[in-house]
Amino acid sequence: MYRNQILRGILVSIVSLMGAGLLLAQEVSDLPGDQLATQALGRPYWHVFIAYAIAIGLIFFWVVVIGRRLLKIENKIRN
Amino acid sequence: MWLGLVYWMSFFWVSTEVTQGIAQRIFYVHVPAAWTSFLAFGLAALFSAMYLWLRDERLDRAAVSAAEGGMVFATIMLTTGPLWGKIAWGTYWTWEPRLTLTLLLWFIFLGYFLVRSSTENPEKGKRHAAVVAIVGALDIPFIHLSVIWFRSLHPAPVVIKPEGPTLPSDMLMTLLMSLGAFTLVFLGLFLLRYSLENFQYEVNTRSRHASV
Repeated sequence: MYRNQILRGILVSIVSLMGAGLLLAQEVSDLPGDQLATQALGRPYWHVFIAYAIAIGLIFFWVVVIGRRLLKIENKIRN
Repeated sequence: MWLGLVYWMSFFWVSTEVTQGIAQRIFYVHVPAAWTSFLAFGLAALFSAMYLWLRDERLDRAAVSAAEGGMVFATIMLTTGPLWGKIAWGTYWTWEPRLTLTLLLWFIFLGYFLVRSSTENPEKGKRHAAVVAIVGALDIPFIHLSVIWFRSLHPAPVVIKPEGPTLPSDMLMTLLMSLGAFTLVFLGLFLLRYSLENFQYEVNTRSRHASV
């Protein structure tokens, strides 16, 4: 049950990140061509996305580690 | 949900900084991660000092839980910083004082976990690790002041300074919201981790009594 909750959380986060990416891509596509060229958007956008994904990913990693330890203890009690 | 709101504010609400453009938005995860890691390592040092004084096992369990959280948030700080640095400075890493001292802090707390698990006597390992945590936390004020004391590539503080914050109000609001979210996430997971550590101790004690 706990594992399902973690998986659901990860899925919701991935979908939210993809949604945010799509909305941002839409915003970028509305910009005039000369602005797109001068801002060099591709590279900074990737750096920002990766930074935010690392932040949420590492926090989820800690949640998963705690969850796995809890499962291990529960299994020990059952045995 | 709060963290989701912070992500929305960082991407869609806050205004874009003029000189650095979109890359400056890394600020809203990098700085709160740094503050949260300092809080976590500070708590780890405080609990460690109390453990050395009172020899209460619960304090050691609180210290290790806080140190683990500190490592998570310090890793976020040390990975998001270079991504921003690549855009702002043109390089992922440079051996300037603040970056070097922060990496040193990360390695000191890595040492904290290694020291705990490297001795045959667990009590000795806990005592030695407590000393490492206290020494590690002494690095935190130096990290904060390094940009003032030394010639540094890293920007000077924009919030904690004698004349008050110099950020535009929407940037300050986003930063404070992000700081609140990161702190709450840390405190929630720290309490969960601490409860788990207590639970594990109880289970181990009961199984030991059962086997006797």
